[in-house]
Amino acid sequence: MASSVRSGSPQPPLFKAIASSTRQIYQLLKCISFTAKVHVQITQDGIRFAADHSRVMQGVAFLDKELFTTYTLNLAENEDGALPQFQINLAAFLEALQIFGASDVAAKQAKSEAEPYRSNLRNYRPDAFSHQTLGVPGTCCLLYEEDGSPLSIILEETGVKTRCNMVTYTPEQPDDIPFDRDDLAFKIIMHSKWLLDSLSELAPMSPTRITISASPNAPFLALSSGGALGSASVDFTSGRDLLDTFTIDTKWTQSFKFDLVKSATEAMRVASKVSFRGDGQGVLSLQFMVEVEGGTTSFLDFRFVPYIAQNDDDEMDTDEEEED
Amino acid sequence: MVLLRFTLSEEGVNALRDALACLNKFSDEVSLEAKRDKLVFTALNSSKSAYAAFSFITNRFFSKYQYEGVAQNREKFFCKLYNRALLSLFRARTGDSLHDPEKGGSVIERCDVAVEDEAGKKSRFIVKIACRNGMTTKYRLPFEVSPPVHAKFDKDEAIHSWTISSRTLRQLMDHFGPGIEYLDIHSEDDSTVNFTCFTEKVASGDEVLKKPLHTSIAVEKEEFDSFDVSEDKLHIVVSVKDFRAITQHAAFLGSEVSAQYSMPSRPMQIRYDGDGVKCEFLLMTVGERGAPGQRTKKTRAGARSAPRAQQLEAATSRATSNAPTPAPRPTPATRHDDYQWEPVRMNEDEDEEEGDARLEWDASDRPNPSAVKMSSVIANQTAQRRGPGPGPDNSVEPDQALSYLEPTQRLSQARQFGLFND
Repeated sequence: MASSVRSGSPQPPLFKAIASSTRQIYQLLKCISFTAKVHVQITQDGIRFAADHSRVMQGVAFLDKELFTTYTLNLAENEDGALPQFQINLAAFLEALQIFGASDVAAKQAKSEAEPYRSNLRNYRPDAFSHQTLGVPGTCCLLYEEDGSPLSIILEETGVKTRCNMVTYTPEQPDDIPFDRDDLAFKIIMHSKWLLDSLSELAPMSPTRITISASPNAPFLALSSGGALGSASVDFTSGRDLLDTFTIDTKWTQSFKFDLVKSATEAMRVASKVSFRGDGQGVLSLQFMVEVEGGTTSFLDFRFVPYIAQNDDDEMDTDEEEED
Repeated sequence: MVLLRFTLSEEGVNALRDALACLNKFSDEVSLEAKRDKLVFTALNSSKSAYAAFSFITNRFFSKYQYEGVAQNREKFFCKLYNRALLSLFRARTGDSLHDPEKGGSVIERCDVAVEDEAGKKSRFIVKIACRNGMTTKYRLPFEVSPPVHAKFDKDEAIHSWTISSRTLRQLMDHFGPGIEYLDIHSEDDSTVNFTCFTEKVASGDEVLKKPLHTSIAVEKEEFDSFDVSEDKLHIVVSVKDFRAITQHAAFLGSEVSAQYSMPSRPMQIRYDGDGVKCEFLLMTVGERGAPGQRTKKTRAGARSAPRAQQLEAATSRATSNAPTPAPRPTPATRHDDYQWEPVRMNEDEDEEEGDARLEWDASDRPNPSAVKMSSVIANQTAQRRGPGPGPDNSVEPDQALSYLEPTQRLSQARQFGLFND
């Protein structure tokens, strides 16, 4: 009833943001596309997208309001300032964003299929012939009318206007994976490429789990895994200078499911730096800094819950790795 | 105990990768054989019709090479490895031009390989790759100790030979499209050599474009560095897939390729050398001797006769396989440690898979070669070297195992089929 009374005078939508390019948004959200649904929370500073995989992995992408040319959030007074939150289907959302410059994407896709290894080789790099670079005008507008209404994405490109309405789901509100910033076991900042390279060294052995260990002295940081074809380990014994920041108290060793860590590779590709942290409980946090054109930096946050440490080693090979 | 240890430079890794990639086109698994002066990688394909060997001269190819040897066999060490794993760890790594522009092209600083084998410890093929940026990767791969199977080639018998530049050969092969199976090389007259590609497969269903397709290229004899085939119009037919694998690798090295052969249904040898590496291939040739002219006619006759040719050959092979049971196997005289190719018709009941009909050349006396596959061992994840499973009987002393070579039929039995009519 209340809303119908108010609708007499056109009510400003609860949330509206306009961006001149969808690429950054797409790029950031693609990194957390390891689950179907994501939790969206709209705050005064930006939009927070959180993906959660069975409570053992979490990925958060924060779209800073700087990424948008206009950003308005009209919090109703009577709703005691509660921030709008809902869930959406991320895959569908990404699809919608791609309508913008769809021809570009299709061309790129065709190219990467023709040359398979190109697809994992800096695909995010600006393309000289994309509509964006050529200055084809276009805007993307995100609109959330009111609580419970669909999220609309309105894309305008060279006179064509597309409106996609995404169904919003009631928030499930999963708790964040607890990561204790006050009980940090170690903290490493390095180029995310090194982390990506290390993972690609391990991947061919098709491992199930990855063991990450950080130690105050050599090998500083070691990633190891064992799989059906053999075992592999990467260490930074002589690569101490690859680690920009390295703070550690005692040796920290935890193992994680390889596939989960691997699902963060898109972030590693896109990001320039990674802050690699572990806490006393063994939770691993990977925070990626993504520099988008225009000088704004965005952050992607991943957290992983480790396997319960086992006393008996059924990991066989992985443990003997460290003997020398 | 480390039996074998060697170090490769980045160029070495690249050369080894090229060799492994070529071997991978023959077989999933690769046999390694190490001696003091050379390291040999070999592969024999599953139908045993093609064999590839890359022999690295240790003092020229490796920056360091140390061979210790085992107690029971001082001379050489051998093992089998899963090629896909090797390829993925020797893969080309992309340089990071963004963060380190001047070293962008080169990534690997050195690559150390060690083979450990000791009772009570896990036997592993250990590869340590040190990257220029300081990252070190260490791989430990399981291996299977089993003697390599070498195909034997009788040089004296192979009276025909030619040599050609690998680039020319590659360019020639580039003209042939996909979907072809066989390559027929024959000299037409005094000045030209014909390369004919064809397939005997017939497309099933109602596809518009039906195979078989014949493509022929006439090459001037001058393109060859030498061409010495005394018999006129000798048709020698090999599998294109294998031949392509060879020409591709040869083109990387850019050296001269030489081929030697005698007559159809006897192996053809192809060899070329690179820097510190000798490459040798044996391809079983297809067809029957004695009717080269007839063969040409068939080829010319086009689509319909080609499948018939296959049928004919298949029938021949079936007849052979239904021959009286092989005579009791005599103990062979002391042979050297090389296997010899013998015509073996093991799976008599097996309905010919395509190709098998004519290329049944078995080099070992194992009844079920597929059970020996490394991949099956891996699948079982029996990482132990002498673990249970379908693997070959490792307890047999290797040399002993090698010397028990059993001919499967008497030559006199085979003679009646007119295979050896000279």
